[in-house]
Amino acid sequence: MPTPTQVLRTLTRRSVLTAGTVALAAPFVLRRAYAKATELRILTWEGYAEPEWVKPFEVANGVKTQVAYVGSVDEMFAKMQGSKGTDFDVVAFDTSTFKRYIDASLIQPIDLGKVANAANLGAAFKGVAPIMRGDKQYGIPFAWGSLPLVYDKAAYPTAPDSWSVLWDAANAQKLIALDDANNSIVLAAIVLGIKDPFNLTDAQFEQVKTKLIEQKKLLLTYYAGFDDGVKIFADSKIKAMFSMGEPQVPGLKGKGIDAAFTIPKEGAIGWLDCWTISAGAKDVDLAHAWINACLDKKVGAYLSDKKSYGNTTDEDANKRTGFTYADKLIFLQTPENFEKRVKIWNEVKAAP
Amino acid sequence: MVSLPERIILFMLVAAGPFLLIVVPIGAFLAMSFFRMENQQIVHDLSLANYAAFFSSWTYVKTLLLTLWLCAEVTLIGLLIGYPIAYFIWRRSGRIRTILLLLFVLPLFMSYIVKIFTMRSILGLNGFLNQILVAVGILSEPSQVFLYNQNAILFTMAVIFLPFVILPIYLSLERIPRSLVQASADLGADIGTTFWHVILPLSAPGTIAGALFAFVLALGDFITPQMVGGANGFTFGRVIWSQFGLAYNWPFGAALGTVLLAVALLAIVLGGLAAQRQKV
Repeated sequence: MPTPTQVLRTLTRRSVLTAGTVALAAPFVLRRAYAKATELRILTWEGYAEPEWVKPFEVANGVKTQVAYVGSVDEMFAKMQGSKGTDFDVVAFDTSTFKRYIDASLIQPIDLGKVANAANLGAAFKGVAPIMRGDKQYGIPFAWGSLPLVYDKAAYPTAPDSWSVLWDAANAQKLIALDDANNSIVLAAIVLGIKDPFNLTDAQFEQVKTKLIEQKKLLLTYYAGFDDGVKIFADSKIKAMFSMGEPQVPGLKGKGIDAAFTIPKEGAIGWLDCWTISAGAKDVDLAHAWINACLDKKVGAYLSDKKSYGNTTDEDANKRTGFTYADKLIFLQTPENFEKRVKIWNEVKAAP
Repeated sequence: MVSLPERIILFMLVAAGPFLLIVVPIGAFLAMSFFRMENQQIVHDLSLANYAAFFSSWTYVKTLLLTLWLCAEVTLIGLLIGYPIAYFIWRRSGRIRTILLLLFVLPLFMSYIVKIFTMRSILGLNGFLNQILVAVGILSEPSQVFLYNQNAILFTMAVIFLPFVILPIYLSLERIPRSLVQASADLGADIGTTFWHVILPLSAPGTIAGALFAFVLALGDFITPQMVGGANGFTFGRVIWSQFGLAYNWPFGAALGTVLLAVALLAIVLGGLAAQRQKV
């Protein structure tokens, strides 16, 4: 019996072949039916518009696609803001930036009636708070991951069940943490059991600050980036770290560290990228059709098997790749005040 | 003869480069420091609010003072290591002198980040230093004390900025006529006396220039503290850096940058005055 990956590969190759033949005929057959738009303009991260689903989509709808990739959240927002959305039809970004886009009226609500494949969405991805505004839904979850606790199995033969290991004095100088204002504050708030880690009161900010200063005394250092974290962990006999993401584990294994990640009982920060429809979309139906195509289970399986992201539609693919903890994650939201968070973080960093 | 209009055009052509590359960016930066943020947008109202916010935040003022102290220490260590090296090179002759000089200036051709990583791999737990100390038997097992603390910042900065200290000192030593040293010896001064009363004062301008280089470079460095300073590797440069990116508070960041620029200018002026007095 072929594995699901093999099936996917065959299917994909076949669909790409078909795509080639049909694409030639498409202009004649389909031009009339889709006179409104002959092109779908996609703004996204690399990996989210692969030929495996772009080609079949083009064939099925008789259109061409034009994909623009960006490297940062700010760059993406600037591109959308610059044209008030009229340069793009669909955009993918993560839950923490929805507030900005909705406030600036750069995206429009999604009509779930036009997205039949929304039925494929797992339970953890239905009604996710940050993508809702009132009863309107502005995004459809597509790919996800976490900022987990990564540990050395030599120090912890069984996975630690709580983030408290990062506050355990017995681990002094054997811990590292990500140097990032917002993520550090959100995590500390989660560990403190604060209900809404994205809207903190002044009293809660004080609590979080104290908690982070307490941790700082035990840290060997903060780390600045993905590879930096892996390198310091491997070079300095680190026991556990606040990780930037699951892919740090294979990075550590490559350096001979028997590392693993876990989502402790308090939960962990999750990122969730969603497809949205631009306020300036030329053909709203076509944009819905794209989102529907992305929610095909085959696309979900590809994301997990080939790209090592959690997907939102194919539970089996998530299971075989280890992405089984979406329900334990707290997906990022826009916090109450970035400036304040940076100030608090600076106070933590400057504390003696 | 070049006519007056031609001269003016020539001057404007020559001045355009520095004007566009130095005056305009610093001007834009100064202007930015008087703006403010509202709803994630930069509002172009002029006020001193950003400066007030800085001076009323003990965290930030304290960080600046501690950073100044750190830079003073870096400067001192840089001089203590750099002066003897410059002196040593100066005392050699001919080709050896050139080769030595080249050797000590060579690190300038290396990327700054590479140098920090190199320092990290020397000082780290599995680093070169620990390996030697364990091999020689001074340490029974590798120690964590060389990296990720304040001393690591001091040492790393001093080493990275060393060429900037050595060069000006060497240049001022080079300008001392050998005859003066000989005259001092003829008059019965021993080596120590000659150094103290002839060489050191005459090389003071270069020494001050080297010290200024180390101080000002250390002042603006926001990467070394982050990379080797551990959890307490926090300097004023980090505070400025943190205002860009996610916080998106460019006006406040620009105001902090202006404060740093003013401090650096003050150091340069003071150094310049000190060098002037030495000449007399």
